[in-house]
Amino acid sequence: MLKGSVEYAPSTFEERGAAVAFTTPLLSQTRVRRGERSRLEVLIPSLSEGLGIYVVAWKAVPEMVGMTMHDRYLHELIVKQEECSPQEIRSATLRAARRGLAGPEAVKAARQALEEEEEQRTLTNYLLLMSVLKAVGLESADVLKAGLDTDEGQRLTRQLMARAAAALRMEPNLLYARLAQIADTVAPVGLAQSPKPGRLLRGLMELKGFKSSIEDWSNEAMSEAAPVAAFCAEVAQHTVAIGDAVLGNLHRRVAAIGQILRDWDAEMAEIRRLAARIAWLLDGWDHIAKAWEMAMERDDRHAQSMVVNELFRIIPLVPRLESDRDLSGEAERVAAVHRRSVRAFEDWRTGRMDVDAIRRIEMLKAKAA
Amino acid sequence: MTRPDPPAGATPTPAASPDVLPVLRERLLDIPEAKFVEVVRLLEHVRDHPDVRQTFATIRPRLSRVRPARRPTLKRILCMPFEDVLETLDGVDVPLGRIERRVIEPVWRIVRERADAAQLAALERAVQGLDAANRNGLLNVGGRLWPLAAAALHGALDGDGDRRLLWTGFGGDEALAAQARSVAHILEIGSIVESLKAELSPRPVPALGEGHVAAIEQAAQAAARLSPKTVYYLLLIAASRLAAPAGLLDVLNDLDLGRANREQPALFAQLSGLVVANLEERTARMDGPAAGATSPDEAVDIALRLIQGLDTTSAVMDHRNETAYRERLAAVRGAVRTMLDETVIRTAPRGVLDAIALIDGDGTGLTRDDEAQTAAEDHARALRRCEALADSLEMRHTLEKAIAGLGAGLTKRANALVAAYPRLVRRAPDPETAELSLFYALRLVELVAGPIQAEELRRATMAMLAQISGDEP
Repeated sequence: MLKGSVEYAPSTFEERGAAVAFTTPLLSQTRVRRGERSRLEVLIPSLSEGLGIYVVAWKAVPEMVGMTMHDRYLHELIVKQEECSPQEIRSATLRAARRGLAGPEAVKAARQALEEEEEQRTLTNYLLLMSVLKAVGLESADVLKAGLDTDEGQRLTRQLMARAAAALRMEPNLLYARLAQIADTVAPVGLAQSPKPGRLLRGLMELKGFKSSIEDWSNEAMSEAAPVAAFCAEVAQHTVAIGDAVLGNLHRRVAAIGQILRDWDAEMAEIRRLAARIAWLLDGWDHIAKAWEMAMERDDRHAQSMVVNELFRIIPLVPRLESDRDLSGEAERVAAVHRRSVRAFEDWRTGRMDVDAIRRIEMLKAKAA
Repeated sequence: MTRPDPPAGATPTPAASPDVLPVLRERLLDIPEAKFVEVVRLLEHVRDHPDVRQTFATIRPRLSRVRPARRPTLKRILCMPFEDVLETLDGVDVPLGRIERRVIEPVWRIVRERADAAQLAALERAVQGLDAANRNGLLNVGGRLWPLAAAALHGALDGDGDRRLLWTGFGGDEALAAQARSVAHILEIGSIVESLKAELSPRPVPALGEGHVAAIEQAAQAAARLSPKTVYYLLLIAASRLAAPAGLLDVLNDLDLGRANREQPALFAQLSGLVVANLEERTARMDGPAAGATSPDEAVDIALRLIQGLDTTSAVMDHRNETAYRERLAAVRGAVRTMLDETVIRTAPRGVLDAIALIDGDGTGLTRDDEAQTAAEDHARALRRCEALADSLEMRHTLEKAIAGLGAGLTKRANALVAAYPRLVRRAPDPETAELSLFYALRLVELVAGPIQAEELRRATMAMLAQISGDEP
């Protein structure tokens, strides 16, 4: 059941696992992955000092940890998922939140997040449509004038798209379907020309804000946690640098819409890979950025130091094969030097329900949805 | 009415125009924080205008929360050494040795009238263009201003044999005049206080470490060299920077106070009395006009802060065999217990249980009220948070009984709701809302009766919902 503390230096994102927004304090932001024989495992970090993790069979978690009702339900939903990527985990999380088990604020946030996702998907689809028309040399000014959501606009669009499909030697229905597939894949990021950034692009911008804020804090704070904060800023910066490069690559590829439609299988595979890579890169950072933002709202340096240590415990290190830096090794050195500051996690065996800690996590969950 | 000239370089904007301020005043409380800081910065340039002064009075609560860097003025620099013991703007918490804000104006007037005008003018020039972030610059000006102001104040207060100043300066308020005297003593050691504050940062210091104690000792010796009388004020400010001021009492007798060593027993008694009186005053505020508006959650926050100070103080007094304050401390403890009993425990059936609709014979519609649910959850959490105080307040039995009774009541109502749901949902206008009301009820069970009981109910609920929809559970 409990394999004991092991060294944690994942090679790939899949091995690192996807962060789950549990509300039980011990399980908050623990990662889940498919282990041997595709069985689900949960990785619980730093029950004691240091960077070791416990690998626990997914099915055994409810017996080991006193979980909130919300988490038990989320746990059931995740077991039913085939994949274990950030997107699937997010969809299970929003489903659990919508049921009301994480409180009224989480219901509201989940509904809003789902509405926004749908809007973003529609917007992306629309922008892709305009790109296709442009790529085949057709003017879309009349459509814009009529408005896409009007009958006249729809009629004009169908007409133009039929001509575009003919120019591309495709069936119009196939063209529509392929654009919808691209939109589904790219909408969470958003297109370069989109007036509204997608959720992941917003996440990347928030990560940049987090990096600046925690870096400033580490320079100004007279706290033992300052070097730990500086390390968190470095990891954020490293993630941002990779994220910017992947994002640029993705936007360039999607901008060449003609090329995608001509070489569909290869191009689409690459676009899916890049979009998934951004999702994996940013997985877990939304919680961290919001937790830091909330800590900074309180004028309490001591509490902020505690948050720094808590964030260090769950910081998403870029896996070895995805980076030229050994971040796990660097994190271990930070933990060793600042052992006094990087405190051990509270005793998880007591099993008491800390209503204050759960409330804080629920508030964060609503903000980061 | 004459309008003050705008300073050179200031950009006239609608926000900075005093004419529009009466209209904008209330809106300033709602605008985004960045905008608020910007508007405050602009208003600072015309701060002497009566409308602007009124505006600052209106937005003061938000100013104290946001704390935008304010343009330094001599008056603000004057207040730096005693800002830790100034009453808070919202008046919710009471600092140790509280100095009221209304003392600032008469003190500043005396300083302006009595201090050397040429020196003050030079300091006024030095403060012009000084940035709020330039701490060294502020300390330089302060280092010259504080002794000057202290001398002016002492001169005025000591020379008030005919009590004219008491009446003309302080409206005959002896307590206010006494606070002005305390301010004079603190200003005497202004620079020492500022150095100590840097050592005791960030505020509040959770517990005194060796470095902190050494810094206090060194500062106390420096203050004693200037005047042994000032040591009390220095210790007062040190204590006010601690999360539990009584922590200073615990180390006080081991401190080498230099020339003030002989005063140690008197200092201990003075500070002990102050710490206990402060606890009493904070407790008395619980019965003040705002007491009725205190939410259960706020009541627990207040109780936690008070009990932290109370426990530390009691431990120090026991350790020192000081029995003089025992009854007064017990009275504070009793008052906190009563407050929690009245605000959190006895009101719980109404505040928590009533959030789950009673299912009557006709079947009540399934409704969802997010605000009521949030309030009920906050109340339930407050009740559970009382557990941390139960032993200290000797209320474990009462609390456990209340939690058990409420848990049983909630479980009963939630069970009834689940049982009636298949019948009630047919009349519900929105099935999703109806389902939410079920899970909201389960959350209250979880918060009060615990996750195990709630989980049983959740499983039964999921099975029932699956049966209704024909899905697998």
